Amino acid sequence: MESTPPEEVYVEEFDPKEHQGCYIFTLDGEEDRPTKRRKTKGKQRATEKAAVEEEKCPFPVLLDNTETESTIKLRYQTYCKLWEKQEKRTKAILDSFNSKTLDDVSAFVKDATPEKYEGKIPTALVLAGPNIASHELLFEQLAQRIRNQDRTGPVVVLTSKDATNLKTTLRKLIRDATQQDEGVDDEEEDIIRKSAKLLNYDLQILQTWCGLHEGQKVTIAIQDSEAFDSNILSDLISLFSSYLDRIPFVLLVGIATSVEIFHDKLPKSAIRLMRGNKFDVERAEECLAQIFNDSMMSDKAVLRLGASVCDFLLERYRDHTQSIQAFVAALKYAYMSHFYANPLSIILGFLDSIDGLGDVLSTEHVEAIRNVPSFRRYVEGRLAAKEVSEVCKLVTDDDYVRHTVAEKILESRNYGIKLGQALAFLEIGRSCTLIQNKTPRYELYAKALSGELQTSPLVREFLMSLKRMNSTTLLNLFEKIMQEVQIPAIIEALGPLQEKIQKLVDEAEASGGKKNLISEFDMTNNTLRGTAVSKKVRLGEQKSSLTKQDTEYSGLIQQVYTIAESYLTTTFNSSENGLQNVFLHEIFFYDLRSPHSAVFAPKPRATIERGLSQPQDYLACACCTSTDGEEVGIRGSQAPTSIIYQLYLESGALINIYDLWSAFYSVIAGDEEHFDVATAQALFYRSLAEMRFLGFVKHTKKKTDHIAKLGWKGI
Amino acid sequence: MNDDILPAELLTTLNEQFPCRAPQIRRLAALIGTDEAPSPPAIVLHGLEATGKTAIVRTFLDTVEASYTWIACHECVTVRQLMERISAGVTENAGGIDTGRAGDVCALGVRLSGALSGAERKHFLVLDRVDRTREGSSVLFAALGRLGEMIPSLTVIFILSVPKPRLLSSAEPPHIHFAPYTKEESIKILSKYVRRIPFQDIEEYTEEDAKEELYVWQKFCGTVWDSLAKGTARNVVQFRAIVDEMWEPFVKPIAEGKYGTRNYSSLYLLHKDMFRRETSVIDMVVPAGAAGEKAATNMHDLPYYSKFLLCAAYLASYNPARQDATFFMKSNDFGRKKRRGGGTTGPTKRTSKNRKIHRRLLGPQAFPLERLQAIFAAILPHRISSSADIQMQIATLTSLRLLTKASATDVLEASTKWRVNAGWDYIRHVARSVKFDIEDFVAE
Repeated sequence: MESTPPEEVYVEEFDPKEHQGCYIFTLDGEEDRPTKRRKTKGKQRATEKAAVEEEKCPFPVLLDNTETESTIKLRYQTYCKLWEKQEKRTKAILDSFNSKTLDDVSAFVKDATPEKYEGKIPTALVLAGPNIASHELLFEQLAQRIRNQDRTGPVVVLTSKDATNLKTTLRKLIRDATQQDEGVDDEEEDIIRKSAKLLNYDLQILQTWCGLHEGQKVTIAIQDSEAFDSNILSDLISLFSSYLDRIPFVLLVGIATSVEIFHDKLPKSAIRLMRGNKFDVERAEECLAQIFNDSMMSDKAVLRLGASVCDFLLERYRDHTQSIQAFVAALKYAYMSHFYANPLSIILGFLDSIDGLGDVLSTEHVEAIRNVPSFRRYVEGRLAAKEVSEVCKLVTDDDYVRHTVAEKILESRNYGIKLGQALAFLEIGRSCTLIQNKTPRYELYAKALSGELQTSPLVREFLMSLKRMNSTTLLNLFEKIMQEVQIPAIIEALGPLQEKIQKLVDEAEASGGKKNLISEFDMTNNTLRGTAVSKKVRLGEQKSSLTKQDTEYSGLIQQVYTIAESYLTTTFNSSENGLQNVFLHEIFFYDLRSPHSAVFAPKPRATIERGLSQPQDYLACACCTSTDGEEVGIRGSQAPTSIIYQLYLESGALINIYDLWSAFYSVIAGDEEHFDVATAQALFYRSLAEMRFLGFVKHTKKKTDHIAKLGWKGI
Repeated sequence: MNDDILPAELLTTLNEQFPCRAPQIRRLAALIGTDEAPSPPAIVLHGLEATGKTAIVRTFLDTVEASYTWIACHECVTVRQLMERISAGVTENAGGIDTGRAGDVCALGVRLSGALSGAERKHFLVLDRVDRTREGSSVLFAALGRLGEMIPSLTVIFILSVPKPRLLSSAEPPHIHFAPYTKEESIKILSKYVRRIPFQDIEEYTEEDAKEELYVWQKFCGTVWDSLAKGTARNVVQFRAIVDEMWEPFVKPIAEGKYGTRNYSSLYLLHKDMFRRETSVIDMVVPAGAAGEKAATNMHDLPYYSKFLLCAAYLASYNPARQDATFFMKSNDFGRKKRRGGGTTGPTKRTSKNRKIHRRLLGPQAFPLERLQAIFAAILPHRISSSADIQMQIATLTSLRLLTKASATDVLEASTKWRVNAGWDYIRHVARSVKFDIEDFVAE
């Protein structure tokens, strides 16, 4: 599903002539010719190349070619360093993510015996979700686990690519299963001797092997059951079943769609031979949430994504790919392009030791900083505060700017961390209430950055239900928050309140045995009363039914509410605490959407169609562009293929070649009376060939002298 | 018949072990007999699944201590493997000299006659489930049948489910039919494996209890047969699996002491619902009820646009292409109106004359990719411009086999046809999850 970028870029070997159809070969020097690669030198060359790679920095010179080599290198190194850290954390999350499924399946394999399942093949159906890219990783982890940790026997992972027919599948299965153990040599020989006469797809070889390795189970993992040919799969299953008394098979079946579809695929007689359990792999969304929280909101994250890139990535994840791997690739791309194109990104390397920063920033860097919008906003803010001398210094004194940057960047960085904490608080809070739609943190994040959370019902809803909480839920909420987020402001304020409430609850329990204190704002119990008057009466009744502790509790919860409200509203307030007020936020937040959409979701078809139907958009030549910007239509001055394409768009499903030709001729000849027919014909043939090459038309036998139209515009 | 060839007690034990198979065992005894009596060159045993063919022949040959070679044909992937197994097996069992392996039938004949030339005893070659040999042809079977004619001391026993006339292309060898068990026979067989009622307060298991258990068991088997097994699981193994599965919940009230063993009819009324449900009849890898309710909450989902693509593929497969304009043109809505207003006219003579088969029953039709994309664009609630992501999702659906290629041309060819590979129920479920009323767009 993803395309991985090539590991090495052979820049020095690039020969521009290689891509030309024909060129003049000049023998002007030996070294101009690409050196022939020899196999023996491969390794040496690789190490050399690695050394060169280390030296060479793939990033371009920025700041109008005035950037020094050392800063370019620094930029590259900072990128490598930061991404390496981030990647390590991401990988740890990915590795730990499947652990529950791995535990379950390995436990299943451990105690699976045919006797336990009525003499049928013990089968684990692993529901791995529709993201095929992650299946390989999962099955590799499973195989590793069973092979190395549990040591229950060999594991063979079969994919549909291996299973073109029964014989090759069995051959691979037997080879993989018998060669996996590090086994003693004479044992190996024994097997070879005994099975020398057998064909290499005979399961009796495996049977002999099993005879020598008592108590070992043979685990067969079918990675992509959907893509398997159902005949081969059912043949395999019936073979396994008939050998089950001699070879203890355990079957793992990876299912991307659903168990029902798997059942539909196989004949009943094959399904009857299997019995077991199914295992759900955790939903990819949870994995995404973890990775997102780690890379965007944790205090370890350095570079964060801005709202629009974030929206783009999440939308693409939800609507198109559902692939964690694609998300991580996009994240890496964001890191790369930030450091690739932003000369100021070197500042991110100095977060731990600010001292060196002043020396690295050159005059050009300082000038670039002055051009950043957030810097201007900062200066304007100073000006509004009538600190004229400082403004003066900021604009004229380079050293002062360096000093200010060094002073301020930690503050800017803390903005992201604080935001992350506030969002964690909100998410945990919302999860403790009865609110139906649980909005995950990654969706809140983009909203918070774009300032939408300030007026969002998401916050209001939470605060309202906070007020109505009874003591048990509230204490539960406190506990979770204290555990998961360390926000000093909140913890200090809420700590004493928590103690007080706990005390109240204990008191109430001691006196009346009532464990749950109700807030007076809680109206959920009396929704039955319809009219306003009856509600009022009811309210009065309820108030009077409140105990002394309840009333006290209500007072405390009012305080909790005030603290939470002031905390959330100030953090999410876009005019005071918005992203644009953060000094140099352009360095800490990457927010360019177009590189991502161009790289990860290109639109080849729309581009070709536009190029052909509106060539003036690309050519911008005087002859094809109308002055007032209106549609130009077909003109003789346009490229011949473009003319053909526009005529083609107007035609039906079958196109008469002669009609097309005459239309083409009349367009291309224009007002000229004696346009050379031969030239026009040559152009016509070439354009039509190009159309065929692009896959728009093809020959048809339905009608003579006609071609079939294959593509329509705008699909 | 010539029962006296074999000792009578042998037959009695066999008959006890395999009830209701007396005629078949008698015939087998006559045909296989002792080493002195001659046997025909080939014997065919046929009968449906789970009628005791394999078990009876095997036990019989073991009890009479015949010299035999057992070949499980369904385990052989190719004919060559089968031939090699036969030659290796016969050489080993008949005690001949190992003269290498045979790759085809001709070589097999030579090897076997060599191996069995010096044998004094009769040798039986049993080909179990010979009709399930992969790559097997009628010529192969005929040749195997002739082996017994070529080699005097060899008898080939074919075990298969349904015999074809002139299977072995020779003078008809003796056939023994293993008829499927009737209801009474099935119950009689199952009575051999009476399951215990897990009484809670029992100290000593008495003769009396066993008798009571047998009574309930037989009654219960009869009920299960009449209600479920008669239509769905006539073979004795499946029948037994159903009975096994249902037994414990059924006798729970007896075990708890709430019901006596003799009022079977009231017990039946209590569990009436059990005999109406189909859960125990449908074959599933994961037994129903084990993890049933957990699954619904945690379903893996396709991406949003993949679902629409799948719906579009379904529509492209099941709608005729000439009706696309009526269903998917945004400007004129006449297609849907026509459908809604059609209730009053009733069936006219013309429609009844050329009545058509429902399109869903005709199976999915192939469509070009361009049509899928056009329908996809038409059914989306909002416009999106086609990007590489959409193409990638089509590729993913293909590797999930929800979409299959229907022509042999290259994937990138514009004229390549595709076909949807998912049922109506699944598609409807998918469409509902994205709030798309697919019913409005399906042609009838």
